Amino acid sequence: MLGRRPLANLPWGLIGLIALIALIGLSAVYSATYTAKGPSTLFYKQMVWIAAGMVIMVLMMLPDYHTVGRYAYVLYAASIIMLILVMVMGKTGMGAQRWLAIGPFAFQPSELAKLALMLALARYFAEDPRRDGYSLQDLAIPGAMVLVPLLLVLKQPDLGTAMMLLLTSSLMVMIAGVHLRSVVAIVLVAAVVAASVFLVPPVRHKVWGSLKPYQQNRIKAFINPSSDPLGSGYHANQSKIAVGSGQITGKGFRQGTQSQMAFLPERHTDFIFAVISEEHGFMGSGLMVILYLILLLIGVDTARNAKDRMGALMAGGIVSMIAIYVFINVGMSAGIVPVVGVPLPLVSYGGTSVITTFLALGLLLNIQTRRFMLFY
Amino acid sequence: MQLQDSPADIQRRLPLLAAFVIIFTVVLFVRLWYLQAVKGEYYLEQAESNRIRPVKLRPPRGIMYDRKGRPIVENALTFDISLVPEDAPDLDASIQNLAAYLKIKPEDIHTALDDAAPIRGKYEPVKIAEEAAWDQVAVVESHQDDLPGALVEPEHRRHYPYGGLASHQLGYIGKMTGAQRKKDTGDIGLLTGQGGLEKVYDKLLRGVAGRRMIQVNAAGRKVKDLGIEEPQPGNDLYLTLDLDVQRAAEDALGDRAGAVVAMDPNTGEILALASHPNYDPNLFPRGISPKDWVRLSNDPVHPLYNRAVQSVYPPGSIFKIVVSLAGLQTGVIKLDDKVHCSGSLRSGRHTFRCWKKGGHGSISFHDALVGSCDVYFYTMGERIGYDIIAQFARNLGLGALTGIKLADEKAGNIPTTEWKKQRTGEAWYPGDTYINSIGQGFVQVSPIQACQMIAAIANNGKFFQPTLLRQSRNRETGVVTPVLPEQKRAFKIDPAALAEIRRALLGVTSESNGTAHGAATPFATVAAKTGTAQVIAQKVAGTKLSASTQDHAWLVAYAPADNPRIAVAVLVEHGGHGGAAAAPVARKVIEEFMKNAGTTATR
Repeated sequence: MLGRRPLANLPWGLIGLIALIALIGLSAVYSATYTAKGPSTLFYKQMVWIAAGMVIMVLMMLPDYHTVGRYAYVLYAASIIMLILVMVMGKTGMGAQRWLAIGPFAFQPSELAKLALMLALARYFAEDPRRDGYSLQDLAIPGAMVLVPLLLVLKQPDLGTAMMLLLTSSLMVMIAGVHLRSVVAIVLVAAVVAASVFLVPPVRHKVWGSLKPYQQNRIKAFINPSSDPLGSGYHANQSKIAVGSGQITGKGFRQGTQSQMAFLPERHTDFIFAVISEEHGFMGSGLMVILYLILLLIGVDTARNAKDRMGALMAGGIVSMIAIYVFINVGMSAGIVPVVGVPLPLVSYGGTSVITTFLALGLLLNIQTRRFMLFY
Repeated sequence: MQLQDSPADIQRRLPLLAAFVIIFTVVLFVRLWYLQAVKGEYYLEQAESNRIRPVKLRPPRGIMYDRKGRPIVENALTFDISLVPEDAPDLDASIQNLAAYLKIKPEDIHTALDDAAPIRGKYEPVKIAEEAAWDQVAVVESHQDDLPGALVEPEHRRHYPYGGLASHQLGYIGKMTGAQRKKDTGDIGLLTGQGGLEKVYDKLLRGVAGRRMIQVNAAGRKVKDLGIEEPQPGNDLYLTLDLDVQRAAEDALGDRAGAVVAMDPNTGEILALASHPNYDPNLFPRGISPKDWVRLSNDPVHPLYNRAVQSVYPPGSIFKIVVSLAGLQTGVIKLDDKVHCSGSLRSGRHTFRCWKKGGHGSISFHDALVGSCDVYFYTMGERIGYDIIAQFARNLGLGALTGIKLADEKAGNIPTTEWKKQRTGEAWYPGDTYINSIGQGFVQVSPIQACQMIAAIANNGKFFQPTLLRQSRNRETGVVTPVLPEQKRAFKIDPAALAEIRRALLGVTSESNGTAHGAATPFATVAAKTGTAQVIAQKVAGTKLSASTQDHAWLVAYAPADNPRIAVAVLVEHGGHGGAAAAPVARKVIEEFMKNAGTTATR
């Protein structure tokens, strides 16, 4: 299936890039979780997740991506069922129900839902092409496909993932093509909804009241971070301090005071980028941003060179998903995006996120290795 | 199929995605550069202050010693259990656990936090259990993991080893009131002197707070010590007080209400200053319980009241010293002039009695003062003129603040004829002169004024500022700042007149018709004058007076008579006759002082 010289056909550059990012992330997790008694078990767990992820990524190259596309709707349906399950019997963490326990494992179905939705949309757009763009009516079905998991995730409530689903889907619609007037209509509707939320007090109160206190606090803290530096603005403030105090060259590996003395919360998960920035300075943070840029541009190139719509849409969707992850996560650490729980792909500690990312990247590699194959 | 599956249109749109990726990367890049390169130093400063937290170190308060170097107010090391709410990630859990371990109600902890909220700084611990028992300290220390935010703080607790002894001059410390906090710039914690010397010399005693810089993690746990700015302990005070004399005075008063002031007439140093009933200042430093406070402040005998300086009484016959001096110095009293005392004197419609029912008969100055003949002093008072007597009284320091450094001193009153007119609208009658001449009526003085007066008589008219402090000592540098005797003024007394008065005062304890034989002692020659201040204007003959209407008993004395080293004023509220009630108290004080006179600390 991979040809006679499978190893030579592998896109070693891209794999190397992915491995490099994952290793930098692993070292950051090592530093962020280091305890007085030595490396934390979290570090070893993450090491296992990344190793497993690398294997899964390679395995994802084996089947044809069309096979994956064939299972897209099944996967989508499964993720919806799991999202419903999590509502009924999920584990609660940090004020939201996000976790589903299967045997000894606990994972976040919402992470899987992002991938499944992306694949389902890719298949839908691939099978129902509109070369000159989709109209609003055409977008009714994909819109519903986005709305179901979106509402379920909002119900958890997980503002970050909901945002991710919406933005990734929007980018995919953009790639798939949409009428300009549809865009204008969507923007208008969104503007009216937003205006009514902000300007009509009863609606605003209703929407505001439906948010959990921690969400209200995060939004308040984003608007005015210095209002309560030890309360809701704490995360954002401490992260900015960590990033800024790294200056150009950084404080050195495991020398970050913010990270090592636990001023920085969620430092091995959502704020891992701040750890890298603090300990390696702008050299480190800038390098990471550039590495992601290269990865994403290779992804865009993969999409451009895909031999069919399914491949192009899948690759575009994967790039969109990872790009949104990176921008929201880094933007959050740098204080230009509200604090929402979004992991940094390949870097943040967490099994579900690591495995999902490697699954997606495996698919990207799959599409890349098959770009010259005309028959399948 | 081939055509339908062509991704050409999608490929056309992909540069949009690339542009999106590049634009956002540039945004992030610029933002990171701004944070790290442009504002890097600012955030580095923030990070530095983030991990270093100053912990206030309270200085030990100065110790007070008596004039023989014995500590009478000291500090005991105790342990308090406190809570730093900022350090508890889950405050409610910490409160619940702490309450369970300390076996107290969680509401009490909430109350303590609420009370402290408006006045505490961030990360300042809130005291939950003061002077914790050992098992409480142990349980908090060993369950630190369950009790984030809770800590054990060593504290120097104010301790008064002699309990109520000298409580009115030592005072006590307590929580600052809101007004005190507003005025206070020392920022030294919440305990401050609230009475007596603790209050007057608070600035000397309190010291200067220090700081310990500690490195903490976000959980507030100390990672390491970064340095310490030692607190400067308060200055130690060496008082003029002689513990033995003080104890003798208080023992002699027993459970009677009253006051004793003993002073070195040559320096103004207060040797003893007692007021009974007293209170235990140990009740205050940890915050007096509402029950104890109500008991103390509503007690009908007013234990918090310092009778030696805050209470004024009619001086009774001790005022005859003033009339004697006024008469002798103005020449109105001639030593040989005799007055006949039949036991009373009629003036218009009123009869003014002598304390001695049968009268003293024909009597001259010496015997009249020794025997405290009222009729003689009615007569002389009238001859001298009341306003001149008032002038002498004021010259002897009566009716005015002595300036002793204790709070709320009362001036008392030396009326003039003018004063009465303004106050009551009535003229000054000859009867007013009579009764004021024997220290009744409108005249009111405090025990410390009486002591100051007799000290001036003992010291040939020299007035020294009554003082409670001999010296203060900086505990760190060892530098001693002495408080030198301060002569306020001298009152020109005719030496011949003074000699006559002193001869008579010696007669009061030694001659057969003297009224204060009870003050005589083998340890020294004692000169004294008794006083009996009527609480109600006239006794109804034959009725026994109840305790609250019994006369106040006075005695002023100095010893040794020829070379005075101690001046004493004793007042026993409702004690009855001065000679019977007050004289023995003065004797005990003088005896105790004279016993150790040779070993008295010298400057």
